[in-house]
Amino acid sequence: MNGYGGTILRVNLTDGKISKEPTPAQLARDFIGGRGFGIYFLFKEVPKGIDPLGPENKLFISTGPLSGMMAPGGGKCDWTTKSPLTGGYADASMGGHFTAEMKYAGIDTIILEGISTKPVYLFIDNDKIQLLDASSLWGKGAIDVEVELKHKYGEEYQIAAIGPGGENQVLYACINHDFGRQAGRGGVGAVMGSKKLKAIVLHGTKSVAVADLESYRKAGLALYKACKDAEGLAEWSRYGTTVVTSWCNEVGALPTRNFSAGSFEGIDHINGQAMRKEIVITDKGCFGCPSPCGKYSNMKRYNTQVEGPEYETIGLMGSNLGIADIQSVAEANRLADDLGLDTISTGSCIAWAMECYEKGILTKADTDGLELKFGNTEAVFTLIKKIAHREGKIGDLLALGVKQASQEVGKGSEKFAIQVKGMEQSAYATHNATAMLLAYMTCDVGAHHNRSWAITYDLQVGREKVVPEKVARIIWLQNFRPMFDVFGSCRLQWVELGIDRELYCPLLESITGIKRSWQDLEAVGNRIWNLTRMYWARENDSFGREWDYPAQRFYTEPPKTGATAGQITKFEDVQKLLDMYYEQRGWDDNGLPTQATLETLNLTALVV
Amino acid sequence: MRLYADSAKCSGCRACLVACSLNLFQESNPKKASLNLIPHFPNPGVYEMKVCTQCGDCAAVCPTEAIKLNDRGAYYVDFAECNLCEACVPECPEDVMFVRTELANTAWKCDLCGDCVSVCGTSALWIAN
Amino acid sequence: MLKSYLGDQKEVIVEAGYTIRETLISLGMNPDLVAGIFVNQDQQSKDYILQDGDIVNLLAVIGGG
Repeated sequence: MNGYGGTILRVNLTDGKISKEPTPAQLARDFIGGRGFGIYFLFKEVPKGIDPLGPENKLFISTGPLSGMMAPGGGKCDWTTKSPLTGGYADASMGGHFTAEMKYAGIDTIILEGISTKPVYLFIDNDKIQLLDASSLWGKGAIDVEVELKHKYGEEYQIAAIGPGGENQVLYACINHDFGRQAGRGGVGAVMGSKKLKAIVLHGTKSVAVADLESYRKAGLALYKACKDAEGLAEWSRYGTTVVTSWCNEVGALPTRNFSAGSFEGIDHINGQAMRKEIVITDKGCFGCPSPCGKYSNMKRYNTQVEGPEYETIGLMGSNLGIADIQSVAEANRLADDLGLDTISTGSCIAWAMECYEKGILTKADTDGLELKFGNTEAVFTLIKKIAHREGKIGDLLALGVKQASQEVGKGSEKFAIQVKGMEQSAYATHNATAMLLAYMTCDVGAHHNRSWAITYDLQVGREKVVPEKVARIIWLQNFRPMFDVFGSCRLQWVELGIDRELYCPLLESITGIKRSWQDLEAVGNRIWNLTRMYWARENDSFGREWDYPAQRFYTEPPKTGATAGQITKFEDVQKLLDMYYEQRGWDDNGLPTQATLETLNLTALVV
Repeated sequence: MRLYADSAKCSGCRACLVACSLNLFQESNPKKASLNLIPHFPNPGVYEMKVCTQCGDCAAVCPTEAIKLNDRGAYYVDFAECNLCEACVPECPEDVMFVRTELANTAWKCDLCGDCVSVCGTSALWIAN
Repeated sequence: MLKSYLGDQKEVIVEAGYTIRETLISLGMNPDLVAGIFVNQDQQSKDYILQDGDIVNLLAVIGGG
């Protein structure tokens, strides 16, 4: 099958059975790859109501037709599972070189099922596939594990590993790869840890057939040229995602002290300029990427290295914690990476705990003696380690994520648990930016910005406006942006460099042999969107409108300082946004796809 | 003319390797490329690039005269003439003479097609005298 | 990015001594819609005061994260 590895690899960790099936052509036609394959398999193979950390959950790792090809950013794979953090749909997109290697090993999806009695790692070298003993690796940090396995097998081998965070099933544990890339959110690392799978070692040397070689070469080179000609390439590559840090601060979008404000007084010590000045050594890129956003850094104070911090980590582990020092943020980043914790969720949980501490809701008796005041860097380092090991009352509490932790502690702390559907909000404060707020409310993994991002649109249209155009924009972005996760590639070449997305169509056609316009592709995106929505509904009997509500802070507590001081969204506008959104999506008043919508999308058979 | 690489600008993306293998073998397979990209991670955290300097040492030692000059003035391997003796491999001062029999029945090297330069987003590669 | 404010102009010459923010406003641009300011390739804040000979590149916020 042109453009595909051709095989679905099934690995049963309970009985050790390893089997292969050919990738169904109809699946490739209907769902294309990546996130599309993920939701298809999740719906089909994971029974309703199972425990995400139990033997019946599965972890699906999928490439897409652009993975491993001569395509800018063709370096992403999608990890899909039932989330232990939210109880709903989770997927995480991982960069680096793993997806390419999967493709060259002839694999489109790896299905990890069951639970091993002992720690193992999965070894894949073309057709030699084994589950091997990982007892000597268990307990080690993800960085050390990658070093060890590359040393053992060779530099060509690609490694994905969990740290102690995943082993201990911290609900937002992540998976690490290529010394700085993660399958970050939703607890995919906890699922891998629950299966006692410590790492995956991957090596492939096969070729990938394409439908039209000359057209493929031409289309690929055209995309690279567009990226190289893009205005802003040099600036983007120099600063990566940190390029927006100062701007976010200026427009009140930078999460500050548990999202109590959107601007931070210490901005000059944590922005892109500070990074380049103090720590960055190398611009590091994922497979095939002409616009390397990775900022590999060396922290002289600690004598450590990390790929990062990304903007998200600067937000959630810098300004959100009241920390005004880039080396401290970078070291917190490194600790989280090595221990295998999603930096966004970790930062949010710590910020929540700090607010609890400053309000007297948590005392030193609850924090194992830690002085959890905003700005206390040493306490942050200690706490990250405690969380990863579920150590002490506070470590174990925060390992649950901010929603469950606040439900346990109570005393009004739920009001400042900044999450939607149980996932901690990523680094854009939305006190007064209604399109972005809607993006977070309706994102299908919880409060993450991956599916749609619209702050500029908010500023262009009028940030407090609640109008159908904003809703239409969010819906369009939600149908369109995740298609890159389906292609197995990065979206940032379109998002950040602004290249013409039409260039992807001839590339996809020359690879797969199937002609698809962006209208066709967005239709697939819309179909996937409704499927992930139905998955949430299937798993949660009470699922509906209230699950889409934003964190309470954004309609009750105007910031006292910063660019959005005194500004807040009205709850009636939250409802108005949802009314318009459901209507435009073809969903009922409670936010569930109507029968008519499911029929139009040809989904009724799948969602039974 | 020859290819030049500035390792300090290399991001490790491997786009050059894919473009190269596509040119040499009509395959997207970075392991069949003729540049040598060496990551040094986690410490010091840099990529090292080695490219063919067109020094000709490989051609000088090839017993079947399989390494010839193309119309770009660059040395290339005529796949039909290579007998896999591997005499060329240790001669290469840059480690960019490749023999991997599990991947191809011939040695291979850079033929100065320039596609790697076209796909390098950080301008770490260029062709000059 | 400059195109939407200054027609087809890609470049414009401005006076030194003013901050970036003041300069953007005087050109009819909303500073909030400019993500990044790069002066001689280094990112600077909008409070940076322009000096003679500075070359400033603007980065529009296109799509975010």
